[in-house]
Amino acid sequence: MAADSFPTVATHPLSIEQESRLLLRLRATTAGHLIGTMLTQARLRFALVVTLSVIFWVALFGLFFEAFTFIDSMHAEVISLLFNAFFSSLMVMMVFSTGILMYGSLYTSEEAKLLLTCPLRPEAIHAHKFQEALWFSSWGFVLLGSPMLVSYGIVREAPWTFFAMLLPFMVSFVMIPAAIGSILCMLIVAGLPRLRVHAISISIVIVSLGLIWTVWSTLQSTQSETMTVAWFEETLSRLTMTEQTALPSWWLSSGLLDSALRGETAEQGWASTLEALKFLGLLIANALLLSLVAGWVARWCYRAGYSHLQAEIPRRRQRAIGWFDNLLARSGPRWGSPLRLLLVKDLQIFRRDATQWSQFMIFFGLLGLYFFNLRSFNYSHAYASIIGYLNLAVVGLILSTFTTRFVFPSISLEGRRFWILGLLPVSRDHIVWSKFLFAFGGGLLPCLGLVMLSDSMLNVPKNTTMIHLFCCGMLCSGLSGIAVGLGACMPDLRESSPAKIAAGFGGTLSLVLSALFIIAVVMTTALPSHLNLLRRSMGQMPSENFLGFVSSKFGIATSLGVVAVLGLVATFVPLAFGLRAFRRLEP
Amino acid sequence: MIEFDHVTRRYGTKTAVDDLSLSIPRGELFALLGPNGAGKTTTIKMLVGLLRPSHGHVRVCGHDLVTEARGAHMHLGYVPDEPCLYDKLTAREFLRFIADMYGIPRHLAAKRIDREIECFELQEFADDLAENYSLGMKQRLVFAAAFIHDPDVIVLDEPMVGLDPRSVRIVKDLLKARTAEGMTVFMSTHTLAMAEEMADRMGIMVRGQLRFLGTVAELREQMAIEATSLEHLYLELTSSRATLREATLAGED
Repeated sequence: MAADSFPTVATHPLSIEQESRLLLRLRATTAGHLIGTMLTQARLRFALVVTLSVIFWVALFGLFFEAFTFIDSMHAEVISLLFNAFFSSLMVMMVFSTGILMYGSLYTSEEAKLLLTCPLRPEAIHAHKFQEALWFSSWGFVLLGSPMLVSYGIVREAPWTFFAMLLPFMVSFVMIPAAIGSILCMLIVAGLPRLRVHAISISIVIVSLGLIWTVWSTLQSTQSETMTVAWFEETLSRLTMTEQTALPSWWLSSGLLDSALRGETAEQGWASTLEALKFLGLLIANALLLSLVAGWVARWCYRAGYSHLQAEIPRRRQRAIGWFDNLLARSGPRWGSPLRLLLVKDLQIFRRDATQWSQFMIFFGLLGLYFFNLRSFNYSHAYASIIGYLNLAVVGLILSTFTTRFVFPSISLEGRRFWILGLLPVSRDHIVWSKFLFAFGGGLLPCLGLVMLSDSMLNVPKNTTMIHLFCCGMLCSGLSGIAVGLGACMPDLRESSPAKIAAGFGGTLSLVLSALFIIAVVMTTALPSHLNLLRRSMGQMPSENFLGFVSSKFGIATSLGVVAVLGLVATFVPLAFGLRAFRRLEP
Repeated sequence: MIEFDHVTRRYGTKTAVDDLSLSIPRGELFALLGPNGAGKTTTIKMLVGLLRPSHGHVRVCGHDLVTEARGAHMHLGYVPDEPCLYDKLTAREFLRFIADMYGIPRHLAAKRIDREIECFELQEFADDLAENYSLGMKQRLVFAAAFIHDPDVIVLDEPMVGLDPRSVRIVKDLLKARTAEGMTVFMSTHTLAMAEEMADRMGIMVRGQLRFLGTVAELREQMAIEATSLEHLYLELTSSRATLREATLAGED
């Protein structure tokens, strides 16, 4: 052992700039390895993400281009209102999303634990984690906002300066709600250690109620007025509350609108650009100020907050619904007992995993809110039918994200606990079947409820509702079969993080197959059903050509038969492969 | 080098560490023993700055862990019970990061990295990503990182978990050599044999209180029983019978 310097300390504390540079270098190195790994080991996933992002961007661009062309020709003044409403609601959402992300990365991550035992300033650790949260919470904004703003610029024939300023505008805007979210997070953790959960719950409830009230009061109108000029003007007038000059969203939309003005003369053009630059300066100044404040707050209370959190004692679990678990475990024949016990175990884990049920509640809750507001509009039967099928597809897509994110990794996670399950008198098939039944049962009830709500609000005919419910059942069964089957075929027994398991090749394949399955099911039934509705609304008899057959009752019955076959194939083929693979699995 | 000055840490109504006063001088290897829930992890968390005392002060090389955390950390090396690494960094990159964090000049850092890689036999996988390492490999890398800045004080929380016998020998030899050169070691362990073999002094915690502080010979003397092994003495000291006897004596007083 060379003692070249011991006991002389050859170290010296870093300046704040050196600490920031060091952490930036760390991020660059890890990002480089991550991209390298993706390009060499996860090409399918990488290609899929890039392709889908491009498709999504182009589709959004097309949509916004058409919308802005229409609005610009008729109601140009509305654009300012729409921008303000869009950016202000985004701002509120980003405060919460960044706050939640910062909580996870500053207080519960292993990296934070490592960095806090090193000679780093708390503000440097905060800045490092803040960049990460900023990236995660803003990429959606960039993906959604850039096609909108680029299409707006093209429609308005904006000068090049508009496009050059887009990114600085977006980044400086995003930093403001992100910094506010981060500051709130640190203050809540440090100042309200005991009331933290209650404070967050109360805030979420207040904001949710506010959002529901806003959406409700904005869209709610008498049925007779819906989609009329008066209704349109009334709705717009309600949105004017987002045009407060003190809001960063107003600075952003005003700056963007100014920078898009070409002006009749060069002087007018430069004046508009100068005005836009003032707004950009305002945004940047506020973003930097809030970042500084966040740094001060971190210096003042990050370590104290972390310590508070470490000293928290987990609350004793209440067994308020233990009776339900007992009932489920003991009901039914004796031979089904192992399966029921596995189901009870999964149910208990689901109830105690806030990540799972909170995401489930948020997504399905938002979808329910949207469906609940569908009655505000008057639809013809044809529109209602199309929207009904689109809603069915959305329900399926949301369910597929859950089956991929939570159900697909569940077999891999059981594999890690094989030393328990492998020694129990439980057949391996039971484990796979229990996962399928849990996913199917857990998805079926909320999905059927949502589809019924959607159809009821749209006033679609009863037989169409029955078709939707049948398709929904098939979707739940097929999506559960795909996730469980592929999860058993391609388990990752080394990985303990479900998110990482879901992000691998198997998870990506599961998501792609699920999306294809949903498209196939919805398209197969939507086309005959919709054509039949159109024909009946026009009072036409079925013709003898192919379209005539498709739109007839026989066509609809055939399409339902095809959906049943698709559902059974999607359920049992992956499950059969999965069962076989799981029986042969050597952990 | 390490000083606990009337340190108390409460979790709600529960007192995890109760009025701990302890001073560990330069060059001593101190082992903290105690049953599960005795307060060892809380003590270590306060020593590395992850947890603040409810009362009292913890100091490393004269730096208070609450008011001068950075100053204290410059002198500290820490090996946690569960290794925490960056999955997407190689061993060499991780060591470079840690060396840079302590402001070790580049030319010296390169020498130190090679020294630690050689010492902990990391050569074979020094340029592989940490995500591919086994638990033992990760633990060796964490040791290398903790030693890279030649700390005055090293804190080890269950240090031998996951290490193979050869690595255990390396660590033991290294700790002996470094303490001889003046480094102070604070180690929490359940492995009594290791504490007996390595420690200059040991502390035994029971229910948040330091029940014993001294050498094995002093423990034997204090217990006044015919016990030959540390295991026997430890079990006797931490048993409920001992707690009862102590409570009775306190009552008589």
